Amino acid sequence: MTWMDFRFDIIIDYLPLILRGALYTIGISLGSILLGSILGLVISLGKMSRPWYFRWPASIYINFFRGTPLLVQIFLVHFCVVPILWGKSDPLVAAVAALSLNAAAYTAEIYRAGIMSIDRGQTEAAYSLGMTHAQAMRLVILPQAIRRMVPAFGNEFITLVKDSSLVAVIAAPEIMYWSKAMSAQYYRVWEPYLTAALIYFILTYLLGKLLSYMERKV
Amino acid sequence: MPTVIEVSQLKKAFGSNTVLKDVSVNVNDGEVMVVIGPSGSGKSTLLRCLNGLEEAQGGDIRIEGKSLMDKATKLTEIRTEVGMVFQQFNLFPHLTVLDNITLSPIKVRKQDPEKARAKAMELLRKVGLESKAQAFPPSLSGGQAQRVAIARALAMEPKIMLFDEPTSALDPEMVGEVLAVMKQLAAEGMTMVVVTHEMGFAREVADRVVFMEQGGIVEVGPPTVIFENPQQDRTRAFLSKVL
Repeated sequence: MTWMDFRFDIIIDYLPLILRGALYTIGISLGSILLGSILGLVISLGKMSRPWYFRWPASIYINFFRGTPLLVQIFLVHFCVVPILWGKSDPLVAAVAALSLNAAAYTAEIYRAGIMSIDRGQTEAAYSLGMTHAQAMRLVILPQAIRRMVPAFGNEFITLVKDSSLVAVIAAPEIMYWSKAMSAQYYRVWEPYLTAALIYFILTYLLGKLLSYMERKV
Repeated sequence: MPTVIEVSQLKKAFGSNTVLKDVSVNVNDGEVMVVIGPSGSGKSTLLRCLNGLEEAQGGDIRIEGKSLMDKATKLTEIRTEVGMVFQQFNLFPHLTVLDNITLSPIKVRKQDPEKARAKAMELLRKVGLESKAQAFPPSLSGGQAQRVAIARALAMEPKIMLFDEPTSALDPEMVGEVLAVMKQLAAEGMTMVVVTHEMGFAREVADRVVFMEQGGIVEVGPPTVIFENPQQDRTRAFLSKVL
């Protein structure tokens, strides 16, 4: 193929669909970032707590979701978990659920690393002032730890936006799904996938800018 | 004078390493007790047991009659009565000096924020740092940071103050300003337990001096006896090295 053959017309043709797909990508990513971060906090607290019945499940969770491919997790959630819990299959629900569950394992470790990096003396000072464990966490440890977590969260969020392309395999109508459709319709490969790459790049670039702005803010 | 701290037969080990063996000592209301001894003698561990930062394995600690070993005793309540000052200050770096001091009075004691701030300013005046109210801890010198830490502990209006080598991390020229605040506190009748290497402070301010070595109390007495006429050879040997 030469550049002369590059068919901008089919890109223009598919652009409305791919842009709508981009909205889905943004929605799926934001939802998964939010849910994954909340679940991750719970799991990291579990892993850092003393009783084995909190610690072990958290460890097993993290090991499972870090140790198995995201693609496999997406299939498991879509074909097995969501139909059982939801009564029917729904690619969007499955996409957000799978990505959230996966992100939670990684964010749990980010929380844990951030919290562990705060000097033990801070906790002791908080305790010595009569604070409960929860107060020490909320008022003293987390505000300091979050600053140190921001860069790692940034990496995780950017990874998550890119990984969301995998949910095309369960027909969630995001960027990659429409690129594949375009490829199938026109028997072309460069145009659809370069377009997808460019949109993903713009999304992660903007997210990166936003994150480095936040890094300076906190 | 009533006894406010009773330590009896206290045992503490980190794994197989015994740090405190059968330590018994009482502190009376308004008394200043200074604990001296070589590093590794268990004096900091003893102090940290007094507000439950370390959990003892045997014996008993009673703060105003309430046993720390009793599961029904709320450690958080004990700790509001027992202030602590650390070697490394442990100020909260993300909060201003003023917020460091008012955090616990507002969140734990549920004081009115306005009153807590007024009280904090009064304490800052007392330690000579009212101009630093809006500063952040990393901008303070060591001596200033430690004085803020003392003010922060006092804001909870504790009945007892614990000092864990409060001047050991300071540059020599800043030791005096911290000791001056502690002397003032002692003169006001605060019950204090001080772990320190400042023998001059011990001699001048202590009502009683405790000498510890290898996890046990070797000798207890008034500073005049401990420093001028120690009864034990081990006390004498230690003092000959540090004085």
